[in-house]
Amino acid sequence: MLEIRSLSLVQDGDTCLDDVSIRFEPGQLTTLLGRTLAGKTSLMRAIAGLVQPDAGSIALDGTDWLGLPPWRRPVAMVTQQFINYPHLSVLDNVAFPLLRRGVARDEARDRARDMLGRVGLADFTDRRPGRLSGGQQQRVAIARALVKKAPVLLLDEPFVNLDYKLREGLREELIDILTAETGTMVVYASTDPREALQMGDRVVLLSEGRVVQAGPPRTVYGAPVSVAAAQVVSDPPINLLELDVAEEGAEVTGLGAVTPADLGRALPPGRYTLGLRAHDLRLGGPHAAHVALTEVSGSETVTHLVLAGQNLVMLERTVTEHALGATIGIGLDLTRARVFDATGTLVPNGADHG
Amino acid sequence: MYRQKYLFLLPGLLVLVAIILFPLLFTIRVSFSSWDVYNPGLNWIGGDNFTRLLADSRYWQALVRLSLLTLATVTLQYVLGFGLALLVWRDIAARRLFRVLFLVPMMTTPVVMSVIWRTIFHESLGPLNPILDALGIGAQPWLSQAGHALAAVMIVEIWQWTPFMFLMLLAGLLSLPQEPYLAARIDGAGPIRTFLSVTFPMMAAISTGAILIRLIEASKLMETIYVLTSGGPGTSTETTSYYIYIRGMRDFQIGYSAALSLTYLVVMIVSLTVIAKALTRMVVKD
Amino acid sequence: MKHTSYLALKYLVVLAWSAFVVFPFLWMLSTSFKSANGVTGGATWLPWLQYEPSTAGWSALFGGPGGVNILRPYLNSVIVTLSASALSLVLGTLAAYGLSRFTFRAGPVRNGDITFFFISQRIMPPIVLAIPFFLMLKTLGLLDTLTGLILVYIALLLPIAVWVMVDFFNSVPRGLDEMAWMDGCTPVVTFLRVILPNAMPGLVVAGMFCLIFGWNDFFFAFTLTFTKVQLLPVSIVALNSSVTPWWALSAAAIVSVAPLAVLAFVVERFLSRGGLAGAVR
Repeated sequence: MLEIRSLSLVQDGDTCLDDVSIRFEPGQLTTLLGRTLAGKTSLMRAIAGLVQPDAGSIALDGTDWLGLPPWRRPVAMVTQQFINYPHLSVLDNVAFPLLRRGVARDEARDRARDMLGRVGLADFTDRRPGRLSGGQQQRVAIARALVKKAPVLLLDEPFVNLDYKLREGLREELIDILTAETGTMVVYASTDPREALQMGDRVVLLSEGRVVQAGPPRTVYGAPVSVAAAQVVSDPPINLLELDVAEEGAEVTGLGAVTPADLGRALPPGRYTLGLRAHDLRLGGPHAAHVALTEVSGSETVTHLVLAGQNLVMLERTVTEHALGATIGIGLDLTRARVFDATGTLVPNGADHG
Repeated sequence: MYRQKYLFLLPGLLVLVAIILFPLLFTIRVSFSSWDVYNPGLNWIGGDNFTRLLADSRYWQALVRLSLLTLATVTLQYVLGFGLALLVWRDIAARRLFRVLFLVPMMTTPVVMSVIWRTIFHESLGPLNPILDALGIGAQPWLSQAGHALAAVMIVEIWQWTPFMFLMLLAGLLSLPQEPYLAARIDGAGPIRTFLSVTFPMMAAISTGAILIRLIEASKLMETIYVLTSGGPGTSTETTSYYIYIRGMRDFQIGYSAALSLTYLVVMIVSLTVIAKALTRMVVKD
Repeated sequence: MKHTSYLALKYLVVLAWSAFVVFPFLWMLSTSFKSANGVTGGATWLPWLQYEPSTAGWSALFGGPGGVNILRPYLNSVIVTLSASALSLVLGTLAAYGLSRFTFRAGPVRNGDITFFFISQRIMPPIVLAIPFFLMLKTLGLLDTLTGLILVYIALLLPIAVWVMVDFFNSVPRGLDEMAWMDGCTPVVTFLRVILPNAMPGLVVAGMFCLIFGWNDFFFAFTLTFTKVQLLPVSIVALNSSVTPWWALSAAAIVSVAPLAVLAFVVERFLSRGGLAGAVR
């Protein structure tokens, strides 16, 4: 078990990590989900020993890691850039970490060849990495990370610099390989909520260097504990609406008066934020909205709307063409909205829904 | 954790400190002594050497001469080097051959070429005067008259070191992005306007670097003088380095030449820093 | 019409400068095949037509009559230049790697200041160092020896090596080092196994500059050696003072200048492939 406690890191005056505590269990795949600069890379670099945190502790099975330089920590890492050793052949690249750990040359090469076969590069062992495509280079890097069988495997957005198709394919291959490796703690960083929710046994949401929520993907997605968590975990972006509840009645900015029945619950007076996911908006309804932009991707349509001066996003599970500037009627299913209080904290409502 | 980092830095640093710093400290100490042929050794005469130096008009003349010579040759080298770099930058046949040719002089040993230049400037047997005669300019007293001797030194320096400017500036030109030129062409800018508003501004930083390096190197000028004119006729081509060499290595006035050296070093560091600041400010403002 | 005249002017200028560049070389080549009569006959260029060619100058270099022994000084120059360049390259590359990858602090001194200390040595006029060097080598018993010269040349070349290599290493992604660390390499092993095998372009440029400045130095060789050891430039300048045998002088100059002139081709190749931009900036 890798235990991180109260880790803090400030670099060049910017807070990269702020009191981060996480536990990683063997055999578990944890995704770190957060926007760019949320602290994912900083956390991984701290685990690998590439940066020294200002406070906190990192320990593997009770052994302190902070005193260990990177070359003494049993970690493997794949980064966004395809980094391989330019002067070595693909085979020697993958055998390199084994040789450095004292494995005999022949055995190292056999194991490297085996690993290259598993990432589909059996025919490229004699090439230099510079002569491979981006996807192939990243496979070499993945093979080099996996061949060590390090107990901690860090994957920092490994596919972000590849094109979409390649990314999907490689991700599935990686999952196949990883499920065969038992006992490894895998940490996978991503900016893409869908990817994170599909992949991990557990999701950790990071925002501005802090852990905002951690748990199984379904829980995190269904009940984001705060506005920040809801924003990180929603794709397309979650719609945020202002709700004002007073003794005489409630009003949502831009929509007008609402009743407790509309909301599916009664709330004490106060100011709230409603988080409504894009798929909880539907075409056909009482509210007139202007179409600002329509994107069709696959069998889904994402439409950006302006309703009474507020920007909203609607997701339809069909292909629909909306003319730009057209006025369409939409409905909002507020019973499905997450309700956050004035501090941005979730106000629970019994069971959560997907 | 990274204790090994000292293994990288220290060997080189210690060697350089040992070779440079101790001699420099020693020079400072010697400059306060009257060490010469008759009284070798480190006595203490306070600032006498420096008082003497203040009244040494031959030294100050050499310093002024060096400054003017340096500024003039480096300016010419820059203008010529930039011009040549622009000419063989693109759109010219056999440009790689010309590039090689233009680089060759900086690879040659300056003193050896100076010896050859001396035979070229020879008034009766050298090849230069017959050519000037044929062109109707007439033979010149190259090494026997002050003005001509200075011109000869400048010609040799320009021949030897314009290639360095050429190298730096061509490397700069070759690394320039293409987009601004497309934009200029779309705007219908002519070659002169393109140069002034696109090329020159983008070359400002590398120009500053090249000029500074050449100023530093040129202000050490002495080998060419030693071979070509020996400071003559009279003292008319003496540079600071050459004068210090005469005092120190020929007259063996070690103490006095140490004082001259230190003053020279301080003057150079101060003036080069001022020039560097001024040039950088010009670049940043643009 | 205007375009044609512009083009003609362009080629005219390029050819004129080429002539200026080539002029001393042609003169030196022509003179090297002259005899005493050929020289005193005035400035002539064409063998057979204008003067009777002779190999006196060339044979004088290799133990012929009018003997100028250039072999020993040549060898000395090769030894000093190669040893000092190699040592400077080793020390300079190590220091540059350290400065580019790690943080050094000593009081107010930071990495940038240390790098500046190295490079600023180029500002030092040779004459300022000549007398202390002279006395230092005398104390060490290294005056008039190859070892002494090599030591002094390191002071000359090390700043160049550091300057070029710091720039080079700064252009090599740090991710490469970090990968090697995570693959179990200590910094020293990382440097030897990963960085050095990929540093060839930088080493070539740095080595070239070291060779040029080492081979072409005259002043230190001149002030720090006398009779036992002589370097090539010194022995050629020595020819200048006697009743000058221009033919032998020219032949010697050609032999001395030729090996490095070839480097112009190497530099041009780097230049045209854009490999020098990083090293020069």
